[in-house]
Amino acid sequence: MRTVGFSSGAVAYGDFRGALTNLRDRHFECLELSALRVPELAPLIEALPQLDLSAYSYVSLHAPSMFTREEEASVAETLYTGVPEAWPIVVHPDTIHDFKHWIRFGKRIAIENMDRRKPIGRTAGELQEIFNCLPEASLCFDVGHARQCDTSMTEAFLILSKFSGRLVQVHISEVNSASQHDPISHGAKLAFQRIACMIPEQIPIIIESRVTDTQISVEAVRALEALTPALVC
Amino acid sequence: MKALEALEERTGSDWKHLRAARQTSERKRAEIKKALDNFSTADASIVVVGSLAREEFTAGSDIDWTLLLDGISRPQDEQLARDIRLALDEIEKKQPGREGVFGTLVSSHDLIHRIGGETDTNANTTRRILLLLESVAIGRPEAHSRVLNNILYRYLDEDRGLWFGSSPYKVPRFLFNDVARYWRTMAVDFAYKQRSRPDGGFLLRNVKLRMSRKLLFLAGMLTCFDCHTRFKTPESRAEFYSKKPVEAVIDRLREILANPPLEILALSLLPYDKFDGSIKKLFTAYDDFIGMLADDTLLPNEITKRKHLDTLPVEQIEGDAVATEARDISHRFRDAIGELFLTKDTELGILTLEYGVF
Repeated sequence: MRTVGFSSGAVAYGDFRGALTNLRDRHFECLELSALRVPELAPLIEALPQLDLSAYSYVSLHAPSMFTREEEASVAETLYTGVPEAWPIVVHPDTIHDFKHWIRFGKRIAIENMDRRKPIGRTAGELQEIFNCLPEASLCFDVGHARQCDTSMTEAFLILSKFSGRLVQVHISEVNSASQHDPISHGAKLAFQRIACMIPEQIPIIIESRVTDTQISVEAVRALEALTPALVC
Repeated sequence: MKALEALEERTGSDWKHLRAARQTSERKRAEIKKALDNFSTADASIVVVGSLAREEFTAGSDIDWTLLLDGISRPQDEQLARDIRLALDEIEKKQPGREGVFGTLVSSHDLIHRIGGETDTNANTTRRILLLLESVAIGRPEAHSRVLNNILYRYLDEDRGLWFGSSPYKVPRFLFNDVARYWRTMAVDFAYKQRSRPDGGFLLRNVKLRMSRKLLFLAGMLTCFDCHTRFKTPESRAEFYSKKPVEAVIDRLREILANPPLEILALSLLPYDKFDGSIKKLFTAYDDFIGMLADDTLLPNEITKRKHLDTLPVEQIEGDAVATEARDISHRFRDAIGELFLTKDTELGILTLEYGVF
């Protein structure tokens, strides 16, 4: 049985405390705490010791999705020292200005494959270039991004084939043409099922679909269905 | 063109016209890329087909292009296509007609969903097969790449025989049949144009049919055969196809199709050094064909050979020196193909006999 949970940003945008409240008593085993903007990072890190995360067997943290070259060293230092070592730190490769700040993270850093707005990190080939610079880094595979970049799912197949050993978590949602994370549609489900068998059962699934309180449980069911392998996979 | 160059060296040949055409194609593509620098997006690729994509561009070649859309439709796309035409006019006057198969915008929808049946028009088939076998994106390639993957997905995912059939051969018959259908369509359309365009162009079209169109079919056929021949042992082939690795086959086919048709042919023939005589004959004939089209020296009638081929009336073909030269080239090409592919002495020959006709 797969373990699943939500990104705090999907449940309550920019409000990790609100997200934790919304997710309480829903029995999800996984959680991704997101600090997508730089000003959100320090408050989140400071709050970590006080947060009750005992319900979760897996927690990761999503680093800011944009920062300046000047901010980079400080962001990296905050993450390195403030995030528990066991938690993967999801980083968008296009945010990195200088790899020297990130090499020391080793496998703690999980590079996420990008949506098609981004100039790098979208395909297996582009990810390889990132991993050349961060040889020990892990992979956060965003299946919605991969489908947005290549609806045939060939690129998803290539990413999972090439980097299966680096895979630590999966992001799932429908990524629309404006690159927003929507609830998983039937079409997306059919596409995701085609590569579902390439994602080991023990890999945590983080839902990024932007949902209301009433949609949380339904979306979790959809995510699990979408990652149930097709008959021929 | 590494395989082609390897064959050139191995057979002691000098395919200088092919080399020159490659260089001309590279220059022309760079020129177009510069002119259309900000026209393509993640959802819209500018795609060239024809001699420019095959790396056979010579003086007199035209630029066959398409604005391939794979995303949200926008009213300004039509204007974008017109502006591309204007930008290309600045560097090359020879473009497709405004109402033609190329030189306009094309949506991915028909290419992916309309394979076969009443709605798969001649134009749609032409665009689809040329997109697969001889197309290059100028500028941003994302839409081009996605559409290629999705078209191949259609052919492969729905090919039950490939995955579950009892044949010892693993050739994607759906795809192969469409490639073969297009080859025969071109041959039929040649006869159609002979009737509908009596004013000229017969001989040039005829030579192109015998050479570059036939090459395209060969490249498509060999690409399909690769699904069978790439395995070192029957066991590894059986193991691979025991699952249904559609995406893995797409990836491999894309790798092959990233090469121009001549290189696909050369890659397939590289292992057959026992047939070097025929290989030399085949590529030398093609080199002569490209040399003929590229030759800018004027004949006594003050036109180039290409222009002569394009304007010679059908009734004057017999006894015409240029027509005879063209026919000789095409016969050498035809004979070499027969020696290499209509034989039971090679795996490629066996597959050709198995799939080529019936």
